[in-house]
Amino acid sequence: MGRDERSISRRDFARTAAAAALAVVGCERRSTQAVHLRFWNGFTGPDGRTMLRIIKQFNQQHENIQVTMQRMDWGTYYNKLFVAGLGNRAPDVFVLHSDQIDRFYRAGLMTPIDAMLTDGRVPMDDLDPNVLAKTSRAGKHYALPLDVHPLGMFYNRRLFADAGIAKAPQTQKEFVEALHRLKRAGDGGVAQWGFVLGWFRVIMYSIMSQYGGRIFDDATGALTLDSPACREAMSFMAGLIVEQKLVPEIENLAGMIGFRQGRVAMVWEGIFMLPELRRQTDLEFGAAPLVIVGNQPAVWAGTHNLCIRNGLDDRQTRAAMTFLKFLSDHSLDWADGGQIPVRRSLRQTERFAAMTAQAAFATQIPYVTYMPSTPFTVEYQVEFDLACDRVLRGSATPQEALADATTNIQRVMTRYEHWNTGSAP
Amino acid sequence: MIRRRWAGYLFLLPYLTLFGAFLLGPLIYGLVLSFMQYDMLSPEPAKFIGMENYSEALGDAYFWKSLRATTLFVVMSVPITIPLALLLAVAVEAVNGKRQMFYRIAIFAPSVVSVSVVSLIWRWFYNKEFGLLNALLAPLGVEPIGWLNTPLTAMTGIVVMTLWWTIGGPMLVLLAGLKQIPAQYYEAAAIDGAVGWRAFARITLPLLRPALLFSLVMNLIGAFQVFGQPFILTGGGPELGTRVAMQYIYQTAFQFYRLGYGAAMSWLLFLVIAVFAAFQFRMMRER
Amino acid sequence: MNNRFSKLEIIAVLAAFLGIAPVVLMILTSFKPDGEVVKFESILPKTPTLENYRHIAANPEEVPILRWLFNSVFVSTSVTLLVVTVTSLAAYALARVQPPGGRVIFTLSLACMMVPGQILLVPLYMILNKLGWIDTPLALILPHGASAFGVFLLHAFFKSVPRELEEAAAIDGCSMLRIYWHVMLPISRPVLATLAIFVFLGSWNDFLSPLVFTDSVEQFTLPVGVALFQSSYASEYGLTFAACVICTLPVLLLFAIFSRQIMAGMVAGALKD
Repeated sequence: MGRDERSISRRDFARTAAAAALAVVGCERRSTQAVHLRFWNGFTGPDGRTMLRIIKQFNQQHENIQVTMQRMDWGTYYNKLFVAGLGNRAPDVFVLHSDQIDRFYRAGLMTPIDAMLTDGRVPMDDLDPNVLAKTSRAGKHYALPLDVHPLGMFYNRRLFADAGIAKAPQTQKEFVEALHRLKRAGDGGVAQWGFVLGWFRVIMYSIMSQYGGRIFDDATGALTLDSPACREAMSFMAGLIVEQKLVPEIENLAGMIGFRQGRVAMVWEGIFMLPELRRQTDLEFGAAPLVIVGNQPAVWAGTHNLCIRNGLDDRQTRAAMTFLKFLSDHSLDWADGGQIPVRRSLRQTERFAAMTAQAAFATQIPYVTYMPSTPFTVEYQVEFDLACDRVLRGSATPQEALADATTNIQRVMTRYEHWNTGSAP
Repeated sequence: MIRRRWAGYLFLLPYLTLFGAFLLGPLIYGLVLSFMQYDMLSPEPAKFIGMENYSEALGDAYFWKSLRATTLFVVMSVPITIPLALLLAVAVEAVNGKRQMFYRIAIFAPSVVSVSVVSLIWRWFYNKEFGLLNALLAPLGVEPIGWLNTPLTAMTGIVVMTLWWTIGGPMLVLLAGLKQIPAQYYEAAAIDGAVGWRAFARITLPLLRPALLFSLVMNLIGAFQVFGQPFILTGGGPELGTRVAMQYIYQTAFQFYRLGYGAAMSWLLFLVIAVFAAFQFRMMRER
Repeated sequence: MNNRFSKLEIIAVLAAFLGIAPVVLMILTSFKPDGEVVKFESILPKTPTLENYRHIAANPEEVPILRWLFNSVFVSTSVTLLVVTVTSLAAYALARVQPPGGRVIFTLSLACMMVPGQILLVPLYMILNKLGWIDTPLALILPHGASAFGVFLLHAFFKSVPRELEEAAAIDGCSMLRIYWHVMLPISRPVLATLAIFVFLGSWNDFLSPLVFTDSVEQFTLPVGVALFQSSYASEYGLTFAACVICTLPVLLLFAIFSRQIMAGMVAGALKD
């Protein structure tokens, strides 16, 4: 071995050692640099509290992924999300209701999450197929459903017992009979009502669906709001309010307040109202599936879908998917706050069975129906609300109200005509 | 003299910079926008369409309906607000000593509460079945009234709530105006035998004219732009009867994402406000 | 004279009662547990509780109310100082120096007041985004600096101040800045105080700007933060009212203090006559 060889080999050794050291240090630096994910949603109130807890848990368990959550009320949330998306300030993970997916899909704000479903991180057959289908566009899934929150019935046990009603009504006949039995006069008006309307949009949508009515035709996407089925559905509820006076005039807030005061026997509300009811400690209430007043089972539901922003790099996307999987796996914790997991295996656990209200509402999942998702969702919902408003106040017949709504929605559709609205329910 | 002029511009500079960047600039942008079709949901880029947005607005039944709601609010609230504020200012000014400060604070207190909480309280208050107002009226044998259930009573409810919430502001302005009228004027007039109503008409009102005009114009402009109260109290209902112009514009721009159309309606609303305000100026000046 | 006095005071009493009663009600309600709030059974709490306040104090992650309070105070104070400075300078120039183009500026400002504020939201958002100010206090402070309202109010006042005072100072050789600082500002204290109150309050209660221009919960001001207790479907009334009390009382206190300043300032102004 000449002197040169030794030097070379020493130099080589030094270089290799240096490279190895750098590699080690470099690796460590990369793994200690956590990925920061921004998560936006509309979870205010008790929803927000529950989600904050889950996120705290996630951050503790994952040193290399840190999630910060921003929240605001849903109305503002969607506006900001959209504007932020256009201004390149969109968050990394965000929530979308099923009927809002189209707007954001068309703006190209989400990336498909099929990777998670196919590699078994979240087993595709563990998710309710009808819920998952809502996130699919052009053959790919653009969001991961986290929960299902259907409408259902909460009833006052004591008022039922007093009126001699043994179990929650399930058919139209039982329901109307209960209304008669539960209405009680008092000084200066009615002291007790059997039922009060709350969020009438989703209630009317449920009833309409139970009569087979649809806003848009499933196959063609044409507007079918002014149909005999829809009119019949509207007439039914309007009749209860205007003619039979079994249900008071509509006014937002009324249902929940009256129910909590113990002056209303039944309300049709989403499962997300559960925390509010639990706070009313002197109220004994039960939960049951929604009454089927029409000829087929149907009930409105919403779903919070988790989306990952388009344009994240690989590392961020992987982190986001880890976060999504965590949320999905922990959806029983989420359910605690008044939601229902969309993971069927989790619904079969004892823990879920102990959540009696959620379990009762969950029996409706096979026949839940969503409000149609279109690019112009807000616009048609304004018209739908107006039509319901007019019919339920008795200032227009179902025919008139639905015909007017049809004209106005048609105008909106014509404006969007040059796109394909193909995403009817 | 020239130096003063330059100093004058220097004094104006901070204001002009901020004004240009954050008021005038966006305003001009908005004006340009009103001549364009800019729907954020459309895959097409924004394009110039001239007066089409304006003609659509003028033919839009919903726009006119919202203008009617706004005008109803203005007509119901402004003529009550200013005279009431004047009455309260005079009443408070007539009180001596520490008590006056208490009244000032008490009448102004509602203005300090934020709009969302105020509307929440009053929505509860007005609820037909379970609200406080009907609960208070029930022992008097009054049947429950659906205050928010018809457009006219709902608008009245909104006006009453707004009155409660905002009377403190104009009252303060008029109070400041009252305090600046020297006591000597009243004393001199009293010597001539003018007291009470005559003193009020001859001395107070004329000297208050700038303050009154100011309050009136500000109140008018604010009333035309009312948004928060009806939005939270009734959501624009019943049957969109209280959906004021600002809410419709807000919906159009931020929920339907039709920015060009929303901008055009905003400018039409501006025209309405400008006409009313100019009319007010003219009327007050002539007297 | 005495009769009118007491008649007028009755009106003041009535108005004061109507004004303060709902506020007092709100304060009392914040001490009720949520289950009792919906029932309206009594005005005073049947089972008074500090639970609402405790919840707010104990959950700084969910409700960083001290942070919101700080943000609101910081932003509102900054806006007030900015507006008073900027508009008094501008109004003085317009009222006294009357540079060419002054009339145009004045009319333009007045016109801008009449434009519905919403129309500015999107363009402002884009400008602030370009500047990188979104989600910082700068976005909440600077856009409000050019207050046409302030210019309008102060211009009217400055015009009504007798010129002799300034002319005397000018003869003594004072520059415009010194006249402004030593002569005009002291006299204008009541008006400046009034402007300050309106601007402060407007900024304190401003809901739309912080909602649109901030993203992070830590940057929220009080009105936006308090709104987090209301979900779209339900409201946690007790918590909302408790949070609202926390927002409202400091301002009322501030106003009470300010109120004395105004009175002092106005008395001084009247004595000058």
